[in-house]
Amino acid sequence: MELIYFQLLAAILFCIGIYGVLARKSAVLILMSIELMLNAVNINLIGYAAFSSLGAAHKNLGQVLVIFIITIAAAELALAMAIILRLYRNKNNVNVDELDILKG
Amino acid sequence: MILSAEYAWVIPGSAIIAFCLTSLFGKKLPFRGIFLPVTAALLGFILFCLIFLDFIFADFSVTTASIDWMVVGDWSLTWGFSVDEISIVMLGLVTFISLVVQVYSIGYMSGDPRLSWYFAVHALFAGAMLALVLADNLLFLYFCWELVGLGSYLLIGFWFEKRAASEAAKKAFITTRLGDVGLLIGIILLFKATGTFHIPSIIHAAQNGAISESTLMWSSLMIFLGAMGKSAQFPFHVWLPDAMEGPTPVSALIHAATMVVAGVYLIARMLPLLEIVPGFLTIVALVGLFTFLFAGVIALVMTDIKKVLAYSTISHLGLMILTLGAGGLAAAMFHLVVHGFSKALLFLGAGSVMHGMNGETDCWKMGGLSRKMSVTSATFLIGCLSLAGIIPLSGFFSKDEMLIAINDGLGPVFLFATLAGVFLSSLYMIRLFCVIFMGRSRSEEANNSHESPPVMTFPLLVLSLFGVLLGLLALPLPLGEFEGFGNFIDPYHHFHISPWITPLSLGLALTGLIIGFMCYGYSKISHELVAMKFGYLYRLVLSKFYIDEFYQWIIDKVVLSTARFVSIFDRVVVNDTGVDGIGVSVVLSAFKARLTQTGKLYNYGTAMGVGILFMAVMWILVSN
Repeated sequence: MELIYFQLLAAILFCIGIYGVLARKSAVLILMSIELMLNAVNINLIGYAAFSSLGAAHKNLGQVLVIFIITIAAAELALAMAIILRLYRNKNNVNVDELDILKG
Repeated sequence: MILSAEYAWVIPGSAIIAFCLTSLFGKKLPFRGIFLPVTAALLGFILFCLIFLDFIFADFSVTTASIDWMVVGDWSLTWGFSVDEISIVMLGLVTFISLVVQVYSIGYMSGDPRLSWYFAVHALFAGAMLALVLADNLLFLYFCWELVGLGSYLLIGFWFEKRAASEAAKKAFITTRLGDVGLLIGIILLFKATGTFHIPSIIHAAQNGAISESTLMWSSLMIFLGAMGKSAQFPFHVWLPDAMEGPTPVSALIHAATMVVAGVYLIARMLPLLEIVPGFLTIVALVGLFTFLFAGVIALVMTDIKKVLAYSTISHLGLMILTLGAGGLAAAMFHLVVHGFSKALLFLGAGSVMHGMNGETDCWKMGGLSRKMSVTSATFLIGCLSLAGIIPLSGFFSKDEMLIAINDGLGPVFLFATLAGVFLSSLYMIRLFCVIFMGRSRSEEANNSHESPPVMTFPLLVLSLFGVLLGLLALPLPLGEFEGFGNFIDPYHHFHISPWITPLSLGLALTGLIIGFMCYGYSKISHELVAMKFGYLYRLVLSKFYIDEFYQWIIDKVVLSTARFVSIFDRVVVNDTGVDGIGVSVVLSAFKARLTQTGKLYNYGTAMGVGILFMAVMWILVSN
């Protein structure tokens, strides 16, 4: 195993995420794409931590950071889902192309 | 007891306190509070007497006292009082005339609805004027200088319901302000050169050559400008005749005896400074001489009793300035006092005439009043003859000293021009007296006129007594070390009579009197015929050489059109383009810029992506 595989996987996941954010119309799918990007970052962190030459303390540090990110991402996702549900109640769809009331 | 200056501040201080109390509580006090300013004036006069006696018996020593006003670093500004010969003379004049005029006002102004305000402003004026003559530094002097201007403004416009009165008040304030700006610039120039406002220090520095010649020249010029404004010298004289719209006692106090001589006083104070500038005193003398003759000629044709007196005042102020220009400090100060008493007497007499005539001021509607008003006419005649310079009245002595000073300082050309003015002076004085008090009554009011109450005639009697006796002060009297008024002011001055100037001036004054008497008293010479013969000249003088019209033209054409241009510039460039323009440009650019906010999520996403890409590229470029 080498660090480069982790980096490649993370890059592929991140690109899929970016594509999803830019191309999808449904807010739920955009949210899922954001989660993909987040997890790409997590994989990157795990990889760097595992292959770090700075000793055990830094390995643990990378993993702890990932745990934190997962926790916060869960909370953030709950909030985002709540917003999307309210949006659906009011507008009857979640298509972001039609949600442009903040247009200048 | 050498405490003079230590308690001199009480004199203006009590007047200012009287002003505060009367203006705040006047309506609730008994007699509407008018006794407070009168008491303050009386107290001032008593204190003056004490200071004067102190001064005489403490061997003429100058005393000073000062309180810190503000301290900046190691430099401090003070409320400084100094009692010396000149300020004692001014102190006596101001306290006495203001006391007399206030007593007179009790009769003249009785029944006026704003009586307590009138007396309160009188006290304010007296306080400011007294502080002005006691001040030992220029900034304090300027402070009081503006305060007396304020008092004058308030009292000229006392009957502000009358449009002419409020206009005259504004005219007086603005015209004197033109000179005051000059005075302030002069004071600042002197402060910049010497670092002090203290008058003796400035004069000392100037005499030691510590002030550069150009600074000295400009500051002298600016200070003279201030004096010209206050003392109504040509071309600033236009405000004084209009100031006659105020109550007559005000004209007597402010516009004849005290405030208008502040300019003369200032020049007398700064004379050692002005002397240093080569040729400057000649300018002073020329301005004085021109004003003396110019105003004398106008006084000859005016028909309003107060206007004649006003032009006579301007003329005599010019004479004082001329004498100062000749270096005759003692003579000018003596005439200042004599003129103050005589002119206050004449104005109060005019007030008494107007009181008896139901407020009529046109002297051609009077006539024959001596039969109705014996006290007023007798005292008025004393005032007239004193100012005409007839022996043995006080005006004779002061005029004589001034003529000698002018001859010594400036030479015979100035002397003969001044003698022409002396002739004019006696001519217009006797004309005024004859037209008002002699001949037959020319109107219904003149037939029904009556003498004024004793509270008004008593001040007239007191002042006329001084008009007769004051001249004796010129002589060396057996009074301690007192060797005549001139010697009191200036130790190098001694009273003397010139064998040819004195008879000549007396002869001219008498000729003026006789011609005037023939013309207006006995009608041997028809003044209408003379006026017709010189019709064009007569109309020119009658309209005061069109100077008011000329100023009005300048105001209309130059000042107002400049103001209009500035106003348009302000509206269009400063306001619409500068201030509003910035706001409008923000609003317009916002209307364009808001279109970038499309509300489409992918647009924002793309912008974010491009932004991150841009930052990454920049980072790579910079780090390499």
